[in-house]
Amino acid sequence: MPDTVSININGVAHDVEAGQRLIVAAESVGEVIPRFCHHDKLEPVGKCRMCLVEVEGPRGKVLMPSCTLLVSDGMVVDTESAVVKKAQEGVLEFLLINHPLDCPICDKGGECPLQDQTMQWGPGESRFVEAKRNFEKPIPVSDVVLLDRERCVLCDRCVRAADDIAGDPLLTFIDRGNHVQIQTFPNEPFSSYFSGNTVQLCPVGALTSVDYRFKARPWDLGHTRSVSFVDTVHSSVDAQTSRGKLVRVYGIENDRVNEGWLSDKDRFIFSAVHSPDRVTAPLVRGDDGFEEASWSDAMALVASRLGGYLGGEVGAIGGANNTNEEAYTLAKFMRSVVGSSNLDAQLGDGLNPHLAATVTPRATIDDLDRAATIFVWGPDLKETLPVLYLRVRKAVRNGATLVVASPAGTGLDAIAAHVVRYRAGSGSDVLRKFASGDKGYEGAREALDAGPVVGLVGRSSLAEDPMMAEAAAGVVRSLPDSKLLTLLTRANIYGALDMGLAPNLLPGRVSTADDEHAEMLEDAWGHLPRGTGRSTTQMLEDLASGAMRAMVLVGADPVRDCPDPGLAQRALEAAEFVVAFDAFVTDSSIHADVILPAAVWGEVSGTATNLEGRVQEVNASVRPAGQARSLNAALDDIAHLMGVDLRAAKVADVTREIAAVAPAYAGITPDHLTFESDGDGVIVPLEGEQPLKFIPVEVSVPVVTSRLTLHFPDALYDDGVWNRNAPTIAGLARQAEARLHPRDASMLPVHEGDIVSIEERFVMPVTLDDTVPVGSIVVPRNVVGTKGLTASTSVKVEAVEGGA
Amino acid sequence: MTAAANWEAGRRERAKTMLGAYPDRRSAIMPLLYLASLEYGHVTEQAMTDVAELVGVTPAQVQSVASFYTMFKREEVGKYLVSVCTSISCHLLGGDAVIDAVEDATGVERGRTGDDGTFSVERAECIGACGGAPAVQVNYETVEGLTPDKAKALVKWLADSQPEVVLADEMQQLFGGVRSFDWGPLESEGPVAAVPAFGPFGSAKEGR
Ligand code: SF4
Ligand code: FES
Ligand code: FES
Repeated sequence: MPDTVSININGVAHDVEAGQRLIVAAESVGEVIPRFCHHDKLEPVGKCRMCLVEVEGPRGKVLMPSCTLLVSDGMVVDTESAVVKKAQEGVLEFLLINHPLDCPICDKGGECPLQDQTMQWGPGESRFVEAKRNFEKPIPVSDVVLLDRERCVLCDRCVRAADDIAGDPLLTFIDRGNHVQIQTFPNEPFSSYFSGNTVQLCPVGALTSVDYRFKARPWDLGHTRSVSFVDTVHSSVDAQTSRGKLVRVYGIENDRVNEGWLSDKDRFIFSAVHSPDRVTAPLVRGDDGFEEASWSDAMALVASRLGGYLGGEVGAIGGANNTNEEAYTLAKFMRSVVGSSNLDAQLGDGLNPHLAATVTPRATIDDLDRAATIFVWGPDLKETLPVLYLRVRKAVRNGATLVVASPAGTGLDAIAAHVVRYRAGSGSDVLRKFASGDKGYEGAREALDAGPVVGLVGRSSLAEDPMMAEAAAGVVRSLPDSKLLTLLTRANIYGALDMGLAPNLLPGRVSTADDEHAEMLEDAWGHLPRGTGRSTTQMLEDLASGAMRAMVLVGADPVRDCPDPGLAQRALEAAEFVVAFDAFVTDSSIHADVILPAAVWGEVSGTATNLEGRVQEVNASVRPAGQARSLNAALDDIAHLMGVDLRAAKVADVTREIAAVAPAYAGITPDHLTFESDGDGVIVPLEGEQPLKFIPVEVSVPVVTSRLTLHFPDALYDDGVWNRNAPTIAGLARQAEARLHPRDASMLPVHEGDIVSIEERFVMPVTLDDTVPVGSIVVPRNVVGTKGLTASTSVKVEAVEGGA
Repeated sequence: MTAAANWEAGRRERAKTMLGAYPDRRSAIMPLLYLASLEYGHVTEQAMTDVAELVGVTPAQVQSVASFYTMFKREEVGKYLVSVCTSISCHLLGGDAVIDAVEDATGVERGRTGDDGTFSVERAECIGACGGAPAVQVNYETVEGLTPDKAKALVKWLADSQPEVVLADEMQQLFGGVRSFDWGPLESEGPVAAVPAFGPFGSAKEGR
């Protein structure tokens, strides 16, 4: 129980939490004080003076800004006196002196704190007759954010968010007095992964987003609370619609997850939902390529073809972009109807499913706030899990010690107390030295001894052996006071694994080796093949060799995303029959015999599970495009055609079934999930231990010795199908580049900007980077120009004559 | 530290001393801006980028500081920067007529620099010489007790004799009137870098 102090507001005594700002304490007891610069998640600055209240002091009552004042015992406050009223009117009159009052054409009109507070606390009339400030309007401060400077009330929120929260201090005040304005440096735009947050924060219409400008009025918007599917953090969002279309996504303050912040990808990717390139009707391969077909014809074809194989000849890849209910239905369909355990939601790009789904002890995101030391061994959080990156930044700001290990510079290096750099391919060597505190690693090792430690472990890139993460997890576990989060990044991959979309997992975090549970599940499902199925890589190999014959692709693009794109291509070409549930014709689904139009995020409802195991509601906000349908509904129909009732037509039935048969989800009811009840979701299992406990042990991974080893990290703005179809951010997709240590570059020899070829096929310019260890090369994965590059451990790099 | 690699050697050394003088590197932004403006003639974008890199902040953050202070010149300044005080004391005693006279004599409007690069004219806030109002500064060297005619004569003298170094005492003797007290830095420093406060680093000596 935190200490309390007693304060008196407007003659009423209240006990409030000590150590708070007066404005927050007052709000907690129902006294709302107007404000512009104050924001719960930003440091106080006391800039706007809107929050002035009278506080009794030794020299009588004085006006004080309540946003910078800490409450103290016996404090006597008046928020409604005539003096306060006069101050509020004065502040608003001043703020409006230069404000254009263009509310009728301003996007913020109707949800504008300046408008609202002027109505409630303002003087109602202005005495200003002079000329107002004029600025060129709007100016772009980044590719996605525009600025109308004359509307700005200089509250400093955007500057603080850019600097303190995002760590990108590219937006600042310039000039002085009447000329003060928000600006960027010439030719250095506010290109932050978090720039969209400033639009949401701005208390006036000064910062607007390119894609929402003049699109809708706030009072016409429909609101749906859901979670973002951009990565596995599952940030809480308010998906806003107008006339049946998504027009804006805002962050919701879920303090356990995203604290209101979103990455620009979370915020702007929704436009892909309405892409003209969506598949909107079933497509069946005919003599001249795809032809539209009716759902009933397409499903009849799929049912008869899938029914014609032995179970083990069929496999399913994907399901990570679906809800838990969809993933569960897919697992049930494949196992009980098709009779196959060949199921994998990961594309050979992830981790051992047992580690990801059931690592113990598992941390929660907000454990970061309590950690003394945070240890990251995995992908660059800024590129892959940007909101988790913000949470780590916050923890470090509040005093946690950060240790980062990676094969090249990451977004976190700048705030890390210790950076452990290893050459791609030699991680296990360095991990061993580091774990035993060898020379050069003593400091980092010592930091780990100060608990509580939260370890964030994952695969630094596709080129890294997934066992490395397990080895790192083993080191973290050996510390006395430690917890772990694994770092898979794709949408609802944790939900998919929990629903059994892995060759070695059954729904509810149970191993396929658990016979007792398998028997129970067989009773519930009617049929269940035993044993472990094939992973994505094995399925692709077997398809290519003819050992397997048919494939179900569910929103997965192995030709883009699996470590060996060439293998994926050969496998899909060799398969006798491929059915793809997909929203787009991708590099993979183009090989399908049937494409069934899939409803996507924004169009489907259900639940999803994030990287800490938190189950939250996912809610549809628009109708599916064209004839697109949810996976569970489509599979329910196909199963019927194959003579089985999956009982999966209704999402609620599936949610209930999951709670009944998936041990880790036991006892989950709609009440746990509805955003009305608590809002922040629940961590499963609700009670008791994990059904399966994965204890990482020390493993050793062979060290790769070759001249140039490959580090192949993911980029936030990649060339994936969703990014390409979201016009707001499509242009931000990264271009291929080869980052080399200057010493390696001089041996090729190449200079900055020269062109090199990789594996004799991929050409790209060189960037010199001394954070890259000598002997390795860093190439971003799946960006413009690296499509098809295999994630091998080492690559051949040559200078291209006359390339520059 | 690549940013200032092309700076003149002495300035590079001094930059290093300045950076070492503060527990927080960021505190060195202002003295470094003076150095950089000596290097580039005024606070150019490159100057701000250099300082940002030296200090380890973004150019936008340096710009925020540089644009706040009027003595960091972000545009080219003439050989003689004539700053005419028009704050209260000077205003009451004819400062506005003095600035009109300076504009007249130089042919340069306030806030501008003449095409030939000889004069820049600006309006200044109180320069601390109220006792001798109206007051004017040339390259931050103060002359007090001016009249419009004396101001014109001062401008003519500058234009004709083009002194390399402008000194308060000399101008006061030739053109000044009432003087409030002995004033100003001991040494004079050209239009962009008269920095009494940073004297210990020697930036005030440069420009001779
Ligand atoms: S642009 Fe908006 S958020 Fe930024 S200072 Fe101005 S009013 Fe505040
Ligand atoms: S809210 Fe307190 S000064 Fe702005
Ligand atoms: S008012 Fe001009 S010097 Fe003070």
